[in-house]
Amino acid sequence: MRYIYHLIVLYLMLQTAWYLVQERTFWKQAGAALVLVLLLLRLFLVK
Amino acid sequence: MKMGNRAAFRRRLSTVFFAALVLAACFFAGREFRTMRAPDAIYPGPGLTASRLLSDYLPPLKGTPGDTPVYVFEGKAPGGAVLILGGTHPNEPAGFLTAVLLAETIRTVRGKVVIVPQANASGFTHSDPQEGSPQRYEIATPSGPRVFRLGARVTNPVHQWPDPTIYVNPGGQTLAGVEARNLNRVYPGRADGSLTERVAYALMALIKAEGIILGIDLHESAPEYPVINAIVFHENAADLAATAQMALQAEGLDFRLEASPPNLRGLSHREWGDAAGIMAVLLETPNASHGRLKGKPSASLVVDGRDRFYERAAKLGRLFVPFGPEGIPLRERMARHLAGIAALLDALRELTPERAVDLESVPSAAAVRAAGPGTFLHPPK
Repeated sequence: MRYIYHLIVLYLMLQTAWYLVQERTFWKQAGAALVLVLLLLRLFLVK
Repeated sequence: MKMGNRAAFRRRLSTVFFAALVLAACFFAGREFRTMRAPDAIYPGPGLTASRLLSDYLPPLKGTPGDTPVYVFEGKAPGGAVLILGGTHPNEPAGFLTAVLLAETIRTVRGKVVIVPQANASGFTHSDPQEGSPQRYEIATPSGPRVFRLGARVTNPVHQWPDPTIYVNPGGQTLAGVEARNLNRVYPGRADGSLTERVAYALMALIKAEGIILGIDLHESAPEYPVINAIVFHENAADLAATAQMALQAEGLDFRLEASPPNLRGLSHREWGDAAGIMAVLLETPNASHGRLKGKPSASLVVDGRDRFYERAAKLGRLFVPFGPEGIPLRERMARHLAGIAALLDALRELTPERAVDLESVPSAAAVRAAGPGTFLHPPK
């Protein structure tokens, strides 16, 4: 079950990171960065 | 530099900036979160006769986040055996700290006392989400502050995931999914169940192995919740609870009696009595810091228990306890727990003298109320 959780979070994290790289607007990048922090912490099971 | 190149450079720069920001935020937030995994320091007093782990009663629990210390204080004279449980809900600090205070001070003359200060050890490793609760609070002692974690009501989801949509507990009660991580909804537990169910099962095994006759589960509830300042009792403990309540009322402490509903399964005061046949009681004190009407959550609210919104709610008649400008501080809530435990032990001695449990060097409720718990706790190391 833990691996499934990791895979889901990793997928979302990669999508968000890709969005951060591709996005041209500063504030949209800032929004993506905020979400990325939470996903990265979740990926390492830090809560 | 051409306009297109400049824009691309700026975008790359902001991407690098945000990536660095994400890594820095993760580092500092992660470091802070991980400190919650460090156990609280508890220094059992000279009356300790055996120190165990909950996994001694259920070996598969060993090395898991559900394992937790069990302190045994046994007297030389024969008597009954009493279990005192704190930290079933780690966001209810008076229950946890009263168990710690007893573990650090008591000597048992007759019978046996088993203390588990952090029944749901996993719940101490995180905070309730979306509450803005402080991670820690301090208790001042003459030699400096002791720092304790303020955990969450339920097991850390990192340790038990996912929650079911609907949770059916071992007693067959249908509950919301999150209750699968609430220790006080999963009794009598399952040996091969979830982490929380295994903790509950281990506690039931402890009750049987240690020959417990009376179990006291220490809790707190929100001032707007009707089951408050109460002794919740299993029918096995009806005489005991009524005798204790009369003594408490005579001391001027208002405690109400609440019978454990027979069809509400999974709670300690129900399953300890039904599954293990012991006298089971649960004590509740009023805690503003985990109520819904509170203002800003803070360590001061946990310890001092003052909140102007609760004051207002009391004036509007919305609470089940009096709540004035002085609030309901932790020392008062711990004093109530200590008075409740003392009255229950007195009642046990009165009703079944051969199963009495006699303690000495227990801080009195009045002394804790007047001087604060820090006066009696072990100094910090």
